[in-house]
Amino acid sequence: VMLNFISFSPGQPPGKPELIKCRSPEKETFSCWWKPVSDGGLPTNYTLFYNNEGEESFYECPDYTTAGPNSCYFDKKHTSLWTIYNITIKATNEMGSNISEPHYVDVTYIVQPNPPVNLSLALNKHTDGKLYLLMNWSSPPLADVRSGWLTLEYELRLKPEEGEEWETIFVGQRTKYKVFSLIPGEKYIAQVRCKSDHGEWSKWSSESYIHLPKEFRLKDMMVWVF
Amino acid sequence: CPNGSISCQVSLGDLFDRAVKLSHYIHSLSSEMFNEFDERYAQGRGFITKAINSCHTSSLTTPEDKEQAQQIHHEDLLNLVMGVLNSWNDPLLHLVSEVQTIKEAPDTILWKAVEIEEQNKRLLEGMEKIVGRLHPGGLGNELYSRWSGLPSLQLPDEDSRLFAFYNLLHCLRRDSHKIDNYLKLLKCRLIHDSNC
Repeated sequence: VMLNFISFSPGQPPGKPELIKCRSPEKETFSCWWKPVSDGGLPTNYTLFYNNEGEESFYECPDYTTAGPNSCYFDKKHTSLWTIYNITIKATNEMGSNISEPHYVDVTYIVQPNPPVNLSLALNKHTDGKLYLLMNWSSPPLADVRSGWLTLEYELRLKPEEGEEWETIFVGQRTKYKVFSLIPGEKYIAQVRCKSDHGEWSKWSSESYIHLPKEFRLKDMMVWVF
Repeated sequence: CPNGSISCQVSLGDLFDRAVKLSHYIHSLSSEMFNEFDERYAQGRGFITKAINSCHTSSLTTPEDKEQAQQIHHEDLLNLVMGVLNSWNDPLLHLVSEVQTIKEAPDTILWKAVEIEEQNKRLLEGMEKIVGRLHPGGLGNELYSRWSGLPSLQLPDEDSRLFAFYNLLHCLRRDSHKIDNYLKLLKCRLIHDSNC
């Protein structure tokens, strides 16, 4: 008897789409990603609409491909700071459509840079004969720090290869750092990450390694020196 | 001061360093204050949908992205910074007194309002020094946007009053970021020859 109540409809309209996050790597462009909806087996199309503060009309996403599947990329021409973007996603299949809740984006506050690059580790000798590790790195290539458009601060982390705990050091805006307290004979792993003034930390850079010689000795207190 | 020098003054580079530190600090405070207010008073009220295009400084046309900011002459950019800074004197003064009327306003919000008002004055003084150094004859036409939002901060209806605060704090956060961003550009352009 219950079988009578089961409908064998060919499908259903899509569920409500949801915007997951928006991110700008350099405060000049940004991308947004959404979660695909349960589509009941039917092919679903997504359209992203946005409107800027003070404007009447809504526009469609300028580029669905650059930032990967289920995303929208706003290039320099389509990115303004100091305005709020009102963004909605519409999911459509042959049975109907559904619209997400509006998402409000202010590009200034979604900046998460790419990780810094070219982290190099070199063993140097101080004038007083002490050996130290010199760490050097560069800002992520996309970030324009030279003009002052973006100001980056960095954090380092370092540990012996077998070590459990990272030693983490916030170093501000500088792009080199000297480390004096090291265990001779150890192989060290180091990484660096960055953050723009009011944004999120980047991911950690890829790991760099250095193998310290065994005879390298330090009698003094272990101190971190700028 | 070097011996025997007649005029002893802080270098332009140092003046810019101090200005940028201040503008950075002011924006951090504004940003934190906005977030605190948003979490405490604005949840579920849909304020953001109403807080659109309604800053008293929106009549000052400012660059919207990096390219625009780089194309504008440094004198005009300085003038804009001064204009936006000056336009906040009055609202900040009132914010300090009116914010005390918010029901159960946490000390952290009160403290930040006072601090921002004071630091904004210091930044303005510093900027006047910088402008005096770069353009001893002055910048010419003085930009300024009048604020007429005091009555809205004193509305009897709580929802409307809270929205007025929300909007003001939202605009403050935005404008303090503009100032910070433009000053950092100016510093790199004028002091480090665009090679920061």
